[in-house]
Parts: sequence; C-alpha cells; structure tokens
Amino acid sequence: MRLPALARTTHKWFALILAIQAVFWTLSGLYMTAVHIDIIHGDRLVRAQAPQPIALAGLVEPTHLAHLAPGLKAARLENQLGQPVYVVDADEGKALFDARSGEKLSPLGEGAARARAKALFAEDGDIVSAELLTKAPLEIQTRPVPIWRVEFEGAWRPTFYISPQTGELVSRRHDLWRTFDFVWMFHIMDYDDRQDVNNILIRIFTWMGVATAATGGWLLLYSFRRKRRVRKAAA
Amino acid sequence: MTWSPMFLIRWLHKWSGLVLGLQFLLWALSGAVMALLDHHKVSGEHALAPPAELPAAAALLPLTGVAGAVGEPITKLRLKPLYDSWVYEVSTPRGVRVINATTGQPVVIDAAKARELAVAGFTGYEPPKSVTYVAKSTLETRDLPLPVWRVEFADKERHALLVSASTGEVLAAKNDTWRLWDVAWMLHIMDYDDRQSFNHPLIVTLATGATWLALSGLILLFRSFRRSDVAWILDPLEALAERRRAKRTAPLPPAAKDSRPRA
Repeated sequence: MRLPALARTTHKWFALILAIQAVFWTLSGLYMTAVHIDIIHGDRLVRAQAPQPIALAGLVEPTHLAHLAPGLKAARLENQLGQPVYVVDADEGKALFDARSGEKLSPLGEGAARARAKALFAEDGDIVSAELLTKAPLEIQTRPVPIWRVEFEGAWRPTFYISPQTGELVSRRHDLWRTFDFVWMFHIMDYDDRQDVNNILIRIFTWMGVATAATGGWLLLYSFRRKRRVRKAAA
Repeated sequence: MTWSPMFLIRWLHKWSGLVLGLQFLLWALSGAVMALLDHHKVSGEHALAPPAELPAAAALLPLTGVAGAVGEPITKLRLKPLYDSWVYEVSTPRGVRVINATTGQPVVIDAAKARELAVAGFTGYEPPKSVTYVAKSTLETRDLPLPVWRVEFADKERHALLVSASTGEVLAAKNDTWRLWDVAWMLHIMDYDDRQSFNHPLIVTLATGATWLALSGLILLFRSFRRSDVAWILDPLEALAERRRAKRTAPLPPAAKDSRPRA
C-alpha cells in the first residue's frame, strides 16, 4: 500500500472506533470550559456573611465538653442562626450542642434544617421541599447520611444539603452543576459513579485518541497540494 | 470543483485539523497520561496520617482566659489536638491564631514546629530533607491559604507536606506523581501560567473548533467506508449464508415441493 493510502486507512479505522467518543469529549469539554466553575460550584447561591463576634459570657466551658460527648476528638464554637453552638466530633460521631444551655440539638428536625437553609440562601426563592434522606443521592454520593435535602424555587432548581448532626451546609447543587456532572461522566467515561478517572475504558480510548490524532496529522501531509503553476521556461 | 455539502465537510475537517490538530493530539496525550496516573497517588492521600488522638485534657483554659489571651473579638473557636497537645484555633477579624489550650501560650509555627508536625503527619519513614517557608503562591501551593511551610521528605516520590504557618495543619501532600499529573493538567486546560483556570477564551475557542473537527469527522465516516473496506468481514459471512441457502433448497423432498404455494 502506498503511504498516503496507508495513512488514510489507519486514520479511518481508528476514527471509526473513536468518533462518537470524540464528539462527546469535545462537547462536554466545551460545556465545562464555557460555563465558569464558580457558577457551577454555586458560590452565588450562598449568602456571604461577615462572621459575627461570639458573646462568650455564660457559655458552657470547653472543659465540660468531654462530659457531654465522651471520647471528644475536636470541637468548635460558632454562631448558627445568631446563636452560639458547639459542633463536636466524638466517639459517637458528630453532634451539635446549644452553647448556652449545653442541650443537645442534633439530630436537627425539619424546622431547624429549613431555618438554616433559608438563612444561608442568597436568593429570594421560597423552600419548595425539605426531606431527610437516608441514602445519599448520586449528586452528593460521598457525603454521610442521613442528610437534609432542601430545595428552593428559583432558576436551575437550587438545592442545599444540611447536616442534621452539625447544622452545616454540606453541599449546594443546581441544574448547571448537575449538567456538569452529567457531561463529566461522558468526559471520563465512568458511567457508574462518575468518579473513577482511571477506568479501563478511558485508558483505552485516550490512546485511541492519540492514534487518531497522530494518523490524522500524518494524513494532513498528503492533503494539501500546491496549485500547479505553469513554469515559465528560464530565459 | 463542486462545493457539495460533503466536500464542504471534508474541507472543514482538513483545515480545522491543520489548525487544531496539534492541540487535539496534546489533549488526547495529556488525557491518556492523567488516565494512567492513579488518582489516589496523585491526591497524596496515602501520605497523610490521620490526626493523632489525645486523651481529654484535664483542665482547659476557660473562655474568659481565651478572650484575654487573644485580646480581640472571637468569631470562631476551634478546640483540637495538634500533634502532642490540645490547642485552641481562634478566628478573629484579623485572622487565625493558635494558642495552647491549657496554658494559653501562643503556639508559634516556626520551621522546627512545622518539621515536627510534618513528620507526625507523614505516613512514610523517611526523614525530612528540607523545610522552606512559602509566602508567595507556587504551583504546589496555589490552592492553599498562605503562608505555609513546605517540608520535603527524602522518599522516592519526593513527598512535600504543606503545613499551614498560621494553624499548623497539614494542608496537602504533593509528590512526583502529582507533579507529572500537573504538567498533563496544564497542557489539558491550556493555562500555562497558573495551571488553574479552564474557563478562558483560548480554550473555549479551541474547544469550539475541536467540536467541529470531531463532528465533521463523524459525518465523514459515513462516506469513507466502501464495500471493499469491510470485504474481509462481509465476504466470509456471505459465503456462509450462501452455503446455508444452498443446503436448504437442494435436498427438499418432492412432497414438500408440491405443497408450496405457487407464485
């Protein structure tokens, strides 16, 4: 086979296997580059709050925390909804205590989760639904459950995930994030968990991509012809 | 020359290939490298030991003592073990500082302390090779709050643990696998300075072009294959089908032949 024909044949056959994935790669890449990552992360959904000083007078002393939560590993004192609370990490997991009375607040009920979500939400929309999930959905698959899922009305279905154990905002999601995650699945070709960037499929197809691009470059050598010019005979 | 749609697509594919081909190759190549490098290794998670567990402190400094030691309004207070002692990590409007949770003495994260914390936080057995102070963002520390101490170890992967100079926390571990991955990442996202942003006009433009390259290539495939290309599959299949047909028609008994509907 002549070289141009060989280049064309190899390029064609590599491309036959790669083509659809190449379209997926470029389309998903286009989405991921065109929509700014800060928008994807939903930074704008969370109200920026200047941290307020905590009124320390009359609070439960840190020494006392070891009695409230045996096997104390770490603790922090912070304001939640304007009230001082202790978030502790101990043998039995994480828990939330009222820093004034020492009363255990966790696990938080629906009202407390709604109030925290509402206070953190930067937009005007009302809460559409709040439910306690015992199985983590795909969009927060690595987070511990149970977890409160609070969805708001507003563009792109903004959703907050609030931990019933700590009262924290664990995650925020919206449809642009969900779309990103969906195209990311095609980009890394992990159709199960959308996490494993080292799966066998992506390893094979990336090298197919290298082969297709390289043979395509080779084929380019034969694809551009100089216009034939009539040479004037040297005088 | 006729400008049929197929000719146009071929022309588009050829020229976008000429302009974008090299970047397409780099995308595939850097993608292949990143797919090969184990992301657990890249993240450096194996190098980081879980924080030490200390027995509960007998007597912790009361809150008034903390306020006195800091002398500023406190916006957040964290009680945690730092290697061998309990500390308070105090957030104030002016920043974060660390004090000993029993004595109230400030805990200064100097080179010696950072080295001690890094050794305690490293899962390897190799000794540290160097301890340097990083105040200006570098490739390794670009995502971290600065300043940090960079403690490099003498292991094969050249692990560097990055210890916060304000809180003493081990923030990240970087190694040679990560450094190689990071070069591939740079080529992939085309941010050659900071290796951070993949939302810049250059990459959006080229990604648009690459989408046309891939789409036109996909369309061209329908025209690129002829019967002769797949003869090696079709010929044997057809021969097989031919032989079956021959077998079915040849030995039919006369009775069966008669019962067939007439054409």
